[in-house]
This record gives sequence, structure tokens and C-alpha cells, in this order.
Amino acid sequence: MEDQEVQKYFGTILEKETHVSAGVAAIRTLMEVIRQSKCATVQELVTNLKKAIDSMKNANLPVAVIMSCCELFLRFITLVGLDGGSFNECKEVMLSRGNLFLHNLDEARGKIVKFSSKFILDGSKVLTHSRSRVVLQTLYQAFKQGKRFEVFITISSPDNSGKIMYKELTTAGIPCTLILDSAIGYVMEQIDFIMVGAEGVLESGGIVNKVGTYTMAVCAKEMKKPFYVLAESFKFSRLFPLNQQDLPAEYKVGIFVAFIQICIKCYFQYTSAIRKTDLKSAHPLVDYTPPSYITLLFTDLGILTPSAVSDELIRLYL
Amino acid sequence: MSQQPLSDVNAKVNDQIFGKDKKNKNKPQNNNNLKGNAPEKTSNDKLTEKQLRKLEWEKKLKERELETDVKSDADKTLSKAELKAKRREQQEAQRQAKTDKSKVIEQVPEKPIVSKIAKLPPELPYLNTHKTPLKKSFEASRTNPKQVQLVKHLYRIPNLEHQSKIVNFKDIHPVFVRLGVQYSEKVILGSNARALALLSAIKTLINDIQTPSKQEFCRYFQAILQSCTDYIQDCRPFAVSMTNALRAFKHQLRHIDTNHSDNEKRAILLEFIETYVRNDMLKAWDAICMKVNEKILNGDVILIYGCSSLIRRILLEAYKDGKHFSVIIVDSRPLLEGREMLRRLAVAGIKCSYAIINSLSCVMKQATKVLLGAHALLTNGSVMSRIGTAQVALVAQAYNKPVLVCCETYKFSERVQTDSFVYNEIGDPDLFLNIDTSSNSNPLVSQKDNNKLNILNLLYDVTPPDLVTAVVTELAILPCTSVPAVLRINAGENSI
Repeated sequence: MEDQEVQKYFGTILEKETHVSAGVAAIRTLMEVIRQSKCATVQELVTNLKKAIDSMKNANLPVAVIMSCCELFLRFITLVGLDGGSFNECKEVMLSRGNLFLHNLDEARGKIVKFSSKFILDGSKVLTHSRSRVVLQTLYQAFKQGKRFEVFITISSPDNSGKIMYKELTTAGIPCTLILDSAIGYVMEQIDFIMVGAEGVLESGGIVNKVGTYTMAVCAKEMKKPFYVLAESFKFSRLFPLNQQDLPAEYKVGIFVAFIQICIKCYFQYTSAIRKTDLKSAHPLVDYTPPSYITLLFTDLGILTPSAVSDELIRLYL
Repeated sequence: MSQQPLSDVNAKVNDQIFGKDKKNKNKPQNNNNLKGNAPEKTSNDKLTEKQLRKLEWEKKLKERELETDVKSDADKTLSKAELKAKRREQQEAQRQAKTDKSKVIEQVPEKPIVSKIAKLPPELPYLNTHKTPLKKSFEASRTNPKQVQLVKHLYRIPNLEHQSKIVNFKDIHPVFVRLGVQYSEKVILGSNARALALLSAIKTLINDIQTPSKQEFCRYFQAILQSCTDYIQDCRPFAVSMTNALRAFKHQLRHIDTNHSDNEKRAILLEFIETYVRNDMLKAWDAICMKVNEKILNGDVILIYGCSSLIRRILLEAYKDGKHFSVIIVDSRPLLEGREMLRRLAVAGIKCSYAIINSLSCVMKQATKVLLGAHALLTNGSVMSRIGTAQVALVAQAYNKPVLVCCETYKFSERVQTDSFVYNEIGDPDLFLNIDTSSNSNPLVSQKDNNKLNILNLLYDVTPPDLVTAVVTELAILPCTSVPAVLRINAGENSI
């Protein structure tokens, strides 16, 4: 598959199935690459896959998820015992492993929902930031279990994704309040805990998420409110930023564009702006929340403390 | 290893008791004849019974350790705990006897270690049941009033035998004799250099050793190596890096195929040391250099402390890569190792400034990153390093600067330590006296013999994990809490 084909395939999945996260879409694209490839050796196939990953990275979407997910996928399907048998057999093995991997991805969200919905108690007030599919599912699940709780959602400008989340929750019948991004400090004292999603979970145990998460975390720490992060394990990535500045530039740019793509209205106006903008003078649309601000991470591997993330990563990669 | 903390606590408690005694009785004590001290010691124990009780009451957690001590002075009422203690003592004695026996078989009798053991009178069951380090600290604490109470368990007897260089050591290869002197004179400094020196000495030993007929090479070698390392340990306690390297080597030594000829075995062992040095040290350094390089940006101001060979290498590499950064070297007395670092960096052309640790809070504002070397990384994530490192990390934390600790995985230790007193090393307190001021009337020197003046020169401190942003190892950049995970991996590799 050529680069453009890959991007097109990837794009159509995301457009047609809005509930699918970018990571899953990327894996499905890679599976398609394997299926269609005419390579004769494993080596060649892997290089092709890597090329495809690179082209997806440039597709103006959250890079954090795509990168971590694809890296894990590559490890999962190629690195363990492919010797023996013809190339076609190997390909079959890879495809079946890929399917297993996808299956695990699909199940991940369900597991997290199961773990985290227990933490929502009757009468609790939850603060969340921007829009996260896994947080949404968790809140649905807790509501289904008959728990009565209230949700505060930040608007989270500039793409106002909080508004979408607000609409989704109100249609489900969950009482919620939309607040300004700058009102985080005001509502912090009345809420019980914070639940956010994550773009990526890093080696340090910290997370990369929509800008404003860090502000919220610092505020929560000061007011001693628990800060929970809900993230699937395919978002784990082997990066260790020391501070905001140290976050790789591709993470910043990629996501900057990605969020804007969601609100198509301002798409053209923004992309042209980004191409010109120097990141030093502007700020990206993601920030890094250091592990010391995070209470717990709910993942499909279990409920982890931030320091356990690194242990899991060591287990996965070394 | 597991015995260590126990005996440490014992020693601490003993020291407290005997220290108080000394004050009460004000009796001059004699180092050289321990036999003469023996009856006095029991009377001391009786005298301090009250104090002991008090201590027991206060420190319920340490009860068990204390009772092993109480037990020795008399068999009064045999409580449950006392029975337990007695059993333990017997076991310990048996173990001691076993090791002594094996030593006698394997080693030549004139060995200095053996003779030292022989010095201790056998009629003192109390002393015999404990390991050598305790004996040393015990003796030392009774003799020298110039020692600081809090860390009495850390003092070692200055071994006069070893310090005179003319003495001919049977069973100890001259390379090790020289190495021991180099260690104790601080000619070879820094845990990497020390580990490398040890390994190269072992290499020489492998080449030079001649197995007597009817002896298996590895077994004989192990015995010789043991006596050599014991000697080294006497000169200066092992660094964690040395312990780990030695352990890996011994593991290899034990698992060598006995069917090989001696020369083949030699080749295997030499090869093992080569690969160990190559993989765990040289390659690790390269990998760490690369990883830190990624984190050094143009315009950074990097604060470093002391003189770590690894940090120096990292900075030189980064400079070679064309990064524009400047370095603040923070130094501290008495060794002033930072000067050497300053010289080498300045020669390379890196922009440097030099500050003493007293001015740390002033210079920290300008820094953007802090790079630290490490002596060892402990299982609870604490970093053991040159004294002052914890202070640098603390100030960096206060100014919100990222702290990177660079440490190879071969320096990871399965020990746990939360403070710097349980295990540490004491340097020469006289080093503090030599201030090169213009006036000769140095108040410290003139007061040197004052009994009220105790100078403490600790060599290491422990930095708690929450002051460290990340640890750079050859595997990855990790939070320092994942030491156990890395240790697990390494243990797994070794067992294969």
C-alpha cells in the first residue's frame, strides 16, 4: 500500500466510526497493510509497516496514541518466534496475532469501565476535562448501576470538546454542569474527585492529555482531591519528559492539529496558522502532567499507581 | 547480607550502652588485650542492666536483638525469647565453626585474617557468636573516645598490619596488596574505577595462579580469591559496584564446567570478565551518554556535583555533538574533586562555572537541569551517592529543577536504606583539619586533641526517591521506583 492509500484508509475508519479511537484505527490500517502486501520476507513486511506508521503519524491526528499503539503492535506480532514455516504461514500467524491484539484492545475499555465505575459512589461529584470516550463509558456504566452523581465538565477551549461531552451526558440523563476552563479553581472545593482520560501514558507514570489537565491536577493536589486517570494500556509509551518543554515536538504539533480537525469549522484557518507558528511563542494543545499529581491510573492491566506504569513498561518491552 | 542490618542494630545498641558506661566510670580502656577486658565486660553488662531494661521498654521493636545480648551475661530465668535467642546463638556458633573449619582446610594458617580471629579468646561466647564486622566496631567503640556516638557502628579498626607496606602476605597476590593500598589511600576513587581495578586485579590473579596438584582449579581459585577480597575489604569496604561485579564473577566461577582443563577455565573466566566490562560498563556508559544527550538542549545550564566519571563522559560527548550548554560545577570539601572535573571540562572547551556547595541555593536559580552520579541505587528507589548529593537534590527540588541521576544497572543493589546512618563509610576526619588558609593558627588543628571535639567525615548519603525526577540507565530512563523491576530482570538473566 502506498502512503496515500494508507492515510485514506485510516481516515475513512475515523470518519465513519466515531466511537473508534485513533489507536484501534491505526492497528486496523496496519492489518490491512499486512493483508495487501506483496512482500516476500518478514523483514520487508516490517519495513513496510514502519513506513505505514510514519505516514499515519503525519495524518494530523493524536500522535501519542498512534505511536505507542503501533509500537506495541509491532512487538506483539513480529518479535516473538516467527521462525519455521513458509512466509505465507508467518503472515497467517501475524494476522491471527494481530486479530488477538485488536480483540484485546476492544476489551480494554470494558475492563477499565468495570474497575473505575466502582469508584463513583452515590452522591459524589465528579470533575472531568474535555471529552474522553472511556470516561464517558464509565459514567454511563455507573449511571446504569443506579448511582446518583453529578458531573462537572470543563468546556475545554479552543475546540470546545467539553460541550460535546456535556450533550452526550445530558441525553443519557446524567445531571451535569458545564463550567469554564478558568473556573476549575472555583469548583474544586465542592467536587469529590477528578476523572480524566489520557492521550498517552508515559514511562514516568505521568500523562499527556488535552491542555488544561495539568492545571487541573495542580489545583487538585493543592485541594487534596484524588486525581484519577483512565487509560488503556496501548497508550503506554516509552517516553520520559522532564518537563513541558521536554515533550517531543511531534506530540505537540500533531495533537494541536488533531483537535482542530474535530471542529471542522475553524480547520482551514487554524492549520495555516500552525504551520507558521513557532512553538516557543505559542503553546501546544497538550500538556504533560507529572506522576506526582496523579493518584491512580485505571488501565486494563489493573488499577496502577503511577510508579507501577514503568514496571509494566519494562515488562512489556524488555 | 541479611544478617547485616541485625548486627548493625546490635552494634548500635551495644555502643550506646558502653558509651554511657565509659562516661560513668571514666576508666581508661585498653585496646590490645581483649582478654583482660573480658571480665570487665560482664560486669559492665550487669551494671547496665537497668539501662538495658529501659531500652527494652522504649524500643519494643528491637527487643529480640537486645535479648541476644542480655542472654550472654547470665542464665537467669529462661523466658521464651531467651530460649529463642539461645537457639539462634547455637546455630550461629555452629555456622561459625563450619566456616572456620573450611577456612583452615583451604587456607594457609599464617593468613592475617585467621590470625585476627585467633586473637579473640574462645572463652568469650558472646563475641564468638557474632560476625567479624561487629567485633571490630565493638572493639573500636570501647577504645576511641574521639568517635561520634551516632555512627559508632561504622568505625573500623585501623589495621596496622595492612598499612605497613613491607609485610609479606602469604596467599594474597601482590596485585591485590597494591590495590588495597590504592583503595585505602584513595588513589583509586569512584565506584566505576574501583570496580574496574578490582576486575583487572582478578584477571591478573587468574593468569598467575598455579593450582597445586590434586586440587580443582575453581575451588582453589575461589579460596584464594576469598582471602584476597577479605584483605581488600579490610583496606576499604567494598563499593556496591564492586560487590555486584564480584558476585557476578563468583557466579560464573561456580558454574564453570569441571571437565575443562585449567587453561580452558582460565580462558572462560577471562572472557567472562571481558564481556562483563564491555557490556555492563562500557556499553552501558555509551547508552547512558546517548540517552542523556537527548535530554540536553541548546542553551541548557547543567548543574553537576563532584566528579563522576560518567557525568564527565556525558558532558564531553554532548559537547562533541555540538550542543551549546554551560556547566555549573558544585564542589565540597574536603576532597574538592570538582576541581579535577572543572579542569577537564575547561580543557575540552566547555563553558564552566565553579561553586562551593555553600552557595548552592544561589547558583541553583540559573541551572536548568541537575545531573548527578550515583554510588548505588537501592531497592526502595533511594540513591546512595557522594555526601552532599542529597542536599543538591533537595535544593533542586525546591527550585523545581529536574534532577537526573545517571547510574548503570550493575550498581543497583537489593539493599534498602532510608537514612545514611545504617550503612555508610567513615573517611579520615583529619581531612577536615587541613584548610589551606593563610594563617597557621587554624582553630581546628589546635583543638585536635580536645576530647569534646569529635569530627565526623561521612562519605555517602542517601537521597530519597521523591527528590529524583528520573534515573538514566542503559535500559531506559526510568523513575527510581522501578529499581525492583530492573533487578528482577537482571536476576532472571543471570539464572539463565
